[in-house]
Amino acid sequence: MIELIDVYKVYKVGLHEVVALRGINLRIENGEFVAIMGPSGSGKSTLLYLIGCLDKPTKGKVVIDGCDTSKLGDRELTELRRDKIGFIFQQYYLIPTLTALENVELPMVFKGIPKAERIKRAEKLLEIVGLGDKKDRKPKELSGGEQQRVAIARALANRPTILLCDEPTGNLDTKSGKVVMDIIKKLNVEEGVTVVLVTHDPSLKVYADRVVSIRDGVIYADRASLEKSEEG
Amino acid sequence: MLIELALRNLRRVKVRSALAVAGIVIGVMAISSIGIFGESLKATILENFKDVANELIITPDYTHGYTYIDERTLQKLERITYADVIPIKSKSALISYKDKKTYLTVYGIDLKDTKELFSLEVGSYRGCLIGGSVAEYFKLRIGSKIVIEGKEFRVNGIIRKEARFDVNPNFAVILPTKDFDKLFNGRKEYTMVVVKVSKLEDVEKVKNYVEEAINRKESKVSVFEMRSIIDRINQAFAQVTLFLMAIAGVSLLVAGVSILNIMLMSTIERTKEIGIMRAIGAYRETILKLFLMEALILGLIGSVIGGLLSFLGGYVIDMLILKTAKYVFQPSSLFYVALGISFGIATAVISAFYPAWKASNLEPIQALRYE
Repeated sequence: MIELIDVYKVYKVGLHEVVALRGINLRIENGEFVAIMGPSGSGKSTLLYLIGCLDKPTKGKVVIDGCDTSKLGDRELTELRRDKIGFIFQQYYLIPTLTALENVELPMVFKGIPKAERIKRAEKLLEIVGLGDKKDRKPKELSGGEQQRVAIARALANRPTILLCDEPTGNLDTKSGKVVMDIIKKLNVEEGVTVVLVTHDPSLKVYADRVVSIRDGVIYADRASLEKSEEG
Repeated sequence: MLIELALRNLRRVKVRSALAVAGIVIGVMAISSIGIFGESLKATILENFKDVANELIITPDYTHGYTYIDERTLQKLERITYADVIPIKSKSALISYKDKKTYLTVYGIDLKDTKELFSLEVGSYRGCLIGGSVAEYFKLRIGSKIVIEGKEFRVNGIIRKEARFDVNPNFAVILPTKDFDKLFNGRKEYTMVVVKVSKLEDVEKVKNYVEEAINRKESKVSVFEMRSIIDRINQAFAQVTLFLMAIAGVSLLVAGVSILNIMLMSTIERTKEIGIMRAIGAYRETILKLFLMEALILGLIGSVIGGLLSFLGGYVIDMLILKTAKYVFQPSSLFYVALGISFGIATAVISAFYPAWKASNLEPIQALRYE
């Protein structure tokens, strides 16, 4: 379970202070698929990075599975990211020098999993995302959609319970985007992985159970996805 | 996998890595070659001393009023040292040949000892021998007749010029003891005794023994170890070599700065990658280790190549300056090569510390957002 309690985030840009989030309260249950929507600059990515323990709130609490992350040190936060959270970014963010297989292995290397086990799991994950035959290619030898699927496989390496997706289809054509979203949805439905998806693409709403809308750092709508489509 | 990643990161910037390696190669080569040269130089100098290293020079203790070593002391020396004891008499005398004359040292040494101490340029050991410089000064040949203190002697042999530190024959005339005694109405009084100890490691022991046996009641003789000169040469050359190596070390310092520079560039260029790795579960230490490992690899490759090439460097310097390369491949060279290699590796790793620390301390979110 993910809980945000009265979360503020203030950035200093030169002499100015930019308030990205102002008093966010949000609770995401295990196994939920939540889409966070909003225009650019609304603070939705900031929210995702706070949930992902890549950033700390200026005020308020981020609680993950009952654990107050503001009380954790860098090492514990790193372990939390490594073991519980999988990230999928708009620009894929693969390591360019490593092959697809090695990129998927990397989080397991950081966890200290033995090589044979690592390779077995990485190969299996690449099979799942449909890239079993391209495991030895470097990122630049793969298409955008393929790279994003490698990124999904990497995000799943240490069996996370939470998948955080930052505009995962933002750089993809419609067809590749659908493949990627179908995989993410399948993980949510079949494996029970909690998915938090940040996007400004309304067509992705259909994948989510719940849509949280955010503007100027404030949540202004939070409802089940079906209701919304019925309304619309 | 981290090693693999480090290697690939280096391969990604081939030219840059190669230049960094070249810097280390040059630095290590400079240090080790100069070390090898220093050792060779020392070996060359010490070669002149290897015949006298086992000698004790015993002279009367002038400070206690002794001007010669008497027969009893000599016999005692022979008895207690079980070594080759060479008694030497000497006097300053006027030597003349044709219309030239000069004062020189005349030594009285037994034939068998003369053979032991000196080698001849020409002639035979019997009778009157002269030093190389004396022969040059008077333009003497075998058979020339010289006059010592009014008495005529026929030159029988010319001693090869060499730098000896016990008895210097170059500016001297050497007579058999019998002739010396006849010429100077000599008694059994010696100006100097050379004790040749058979084993080099026993020199100290024999020296102590002599001092105890002869100087027990009062100090009759002074004992000088030739080896102490060698120790001093060793010390002096160690300092010279160290100084030269320190100068060569500057080139390694420059190599270190270049590694610092390229690692800093890498840190900046790879900021985003560092962010990604931190996001997917890399500890700060993991990032630190990765960067240090890259530097270590550069250092290792550069140092080993530099170490091997330093034999070549040592060879060239030795050939240019000492005109011989026979001392390049002695065991002490290995020491300097190992030293150079260690310094090379250390320089690389130490230089990378700041960039690695900087990289590992990036905040994940800032690193990820870096454009």
